[in-house]
Parts: sequence; C-alpha cells; structure tokens
Amino acid sequence: MIATIVQWKELGQTVAASVVAGVGITFAFSVGIWGSGQFIELSRNDRPVAATVAGVVGALALLCVAGAVIVGIVVMTQK
Amino acid sequence: MSSDVILVIVVATALAFDFTNGFHDTANVVATSISTGAARPSVAIGFASLLNFVGAFISISVAATVAKDVVNAEVITTTIVFAGLIGAIAWNLITWYFGLPSSSSHALIGGVVGSAVAAAGFDAILAEGLVGKVLVPAVVAPVVAFLVAGFAIGLSYRVVGRQRPGIVTRGYRYGQVISGGLLALAHGTNDAQKTMGVITLALIAAGKLGSEADPPTWVIVASATAIALGTYSGGWRIIKTTGTRIIKMDAAQGFSAQGAGAAVILASTHFGFPLSTTHVINGGVMGSGAAKRLSAVRWGVAGNILVAWLLTLPMAALIGALTYGFTRIFGTGALGPVLVTLMALSLVVAAFARRAQRGAPVTAAGG
Repeated sequence: MIATIVQWKELGQTVAASVVAGVGITFAFSVGIWGSGQFIELSRNDRPVAATVAGVVGALALLCVAGAVIVGIVVMTQK
Repeated sequence: MSSDVILVIVVATALAFDFTNGFHDTANVVATSISTGAARPSVAIGFASLLNFVGAFISISVAATVAKDVVNAEVITTTIVFAGLIGAIAWNLITWYFGLPSSSSHALIGGVVGSAVAAAGFDAILAEGLVGKVLVPAVVAPVVAFLVAGFAIGLSYRVVGRQRPGIVTRGYRYGQVISGGLLALAHGTNDAQKTMGVITLALIAAGKLGSEADPPTWVIVASATAIALGTYSGGWRIIKTTGTRIIKMDAAQGFSAQGAGAAVILASTHFGFPLSTTHVINGGVMGSGAAKRLSAVRWGVAGNILVAWLLTLPMAALIGALTYGFTRIFGTGALGPVLVTLMALSLVVAAFARRAQRGAPVTAAGG
C-alpha cells in the first residue's frame, strides 16, 4: 500500500538533486581551496605557469559553486 | 463572533509557534558555523535570522502540502487547528527545556493530526499525503543528508589533504558563510511555510478562504517575521548539543554538513515535502563525523536525539488530542481556546523563569 502512496518520482528527484548539489558543491569548493593553496605554494617556489594553471582551476571551481548556488535559488523561486 | 475570536487566537498561536520554531531551530542553522569558529554567535545568528526572513518568500509548495494534503480541510475547524498548535508548541518547549533538537515540523504535523483524530476520527486524515509527503520523506531525508555529507567530506579530504592546514581551515570557514547562508535560506523557506500552511488551513476552516486558496501575502509576511525573530532570539542549549556534543567538527566537516543539509532541504521544499530541518542537519553532522571516524560521533547523544525524534509525532499528537478534548469541555465557543491560551502562557512564563534560575541562556544580543 505504501508503495502506491509514496511519490517515488518526486522523492527520487529530491534524492538525486540532493546528492548532485551536496556532493558537487563541496567537491567544487574543495577544488577551489586546492587551487588557491597550490597557487600560493607554486608562486613561492617560483613556478609561475603551474601556479597560474592551479589558480585558474581553483577560480573556475569557485565560479561553479557560485553558479550552482544561483541556479538552485532561481529553481526554487520558479515553483 | 465566537469563530472570529478563535481565528484570531489561532493566528496568534501559529505565529507564536513560528517564533518557537525559529528559536528552537536556530541551532540547526548556526551551530556548525559557531562550533568551527567560522562566525561569532551574534553574527551567525543575525545572518541566519535575516536569511530565514528572505527564505520564507521563495516558495509556497510546502504551505500547500500542510494546508491541503495532510488533513481533510472539510472537517477541520479552527479549534482543531488551535489544539494542534498547542500540542506542537508544548512539545517544542519540553524538548527545548531539556536541550534536545527534536523536530518542530513533526511536532506541528503530529499536533494537528492528533487533534483532528480526536475531533473527527481517522477519516480526518489524508493518509496518502501524510505517509507519502511527510512520513516517508521524514525517514529518507536525514539518511540522504548523512550519506551526502559523509561522501562529500571524504572527497574533500582527498582533494585538500596535502594542502597546508591553515589555508584549508580558512578556506572552509569562508565557505561556511555560503553554506550556512544557504542552510538559513532553506530553513526559512521550509519551516516558515508550515506556519503559513496552518494559518491558511485555519482561514479555510473559518470560511475566510476557498479550499484551494494559496496563503495570502499578509500570512507570508507575518510568518517570515515571526520565524526570523525567533531565530534571532535563538536557544544556546540546543546550539551546544548540535555544535559540539554530537561530534567535534573541523571547518571542512561543518561545510559539508551544512552543504548537504541545505541541498536536501531546498530540493525537498521544491517538491513540497515538509521535512524536518532538525533531522536533516543532524543527519549531515553525523555523516560528516562518521566518515572521518565512526567513534568521533558521540552515539549516546545521537541516541538521545533519535529517541526525541521518535517521540515527537506521537507526543505532539497526544497533547493536541488532549487539548482538543479539554477545549470541548467548554463547548464549541471561544471559552475553551481562551482558557487553554491563558494556561499555556502561564506555563511558558514558569518554564522561562525556572530556566533563567538554572543559568542565563546566551542569545544573539548577548553574543
């Protein structure tokens, strides 16, 4: 009986969205921190090209976090 | 005239519940930021309060579920809604008094279900909505938050494991401004909507709104304000339980717990599931702790919280049913609700006075 009452589609979408957003944002933010750390470290070691690449990767990851947050809020307001 | 008096009492009681909800759930929103040192208590609570207010305006899906999908609006009266609210507030205050982070949402739904059953039997319950939109998501959501937070923190440690600890801690502390803000927004939108739903249900029961009506603007503004004020006045006892007694967190764990909590609550809100923000964030906190080391979680404290969770629906339902029975002793007029309100206010004042004697709580204003 419960199987017919539960809104499996909505529940499944909720779980999927939670996993993608929860894990994705934490992962992207971690990459952002990694990029910042590597940028500082490599700059100190006089490796400007590698430092720039790490910095760009980190910045892109942080942009992804910002984008995901904005998209999430916009989706929320549209229902 | 009598029904209008009851309606006014119901709206005031619902807003009082909303205030206690914010007060009670402040811990869910700010505990991790405070315990990891990402923000000072006064800043974290003020920020959460503001975003609670904003969050209340971004969706009405949950309000619609509470108003239309849990109990049969055709048999609901304003007195039933009132008794349900008293059940929820009473249980909220009992668990607050003992410092247990139980669910305000389940207390509210339990209270309304209990009073509705006492008044009109089990026919008053919409089993499909109660099971499909409340009970099943209530079980699934904290488990998902636990797994998401655990997986996310495991991944994070792999990514930043070789970085200098200083920059990692600073980075995640900054990140907690975002994750904590999202969590406050999520809390505002899911929890304030429950009050909107209950007031809408009372307005429908009183014949002031059609059965398919959405919450009026004044209801949304009043609910947003009440929860924000409650959050600003937040309870330090529960913050301590969530923030330090379940696990001792580092900033990365705080970020992953808040991120997982916000993701689960926002996704659920989008589909109209009125879940417990308390359960979800505690699931996230435990997940981020267990992923690092199972013994890092103080399972005894977690067990106490679990017991409070299990008791919430039936206890709030019981108090709601008893309250309804008590009001009916005085007939169907406003006398019963007025007497219960006076008694409830006396008990609240007594509880606060007793709590004050045992030690002053740390509030936002007090830092």
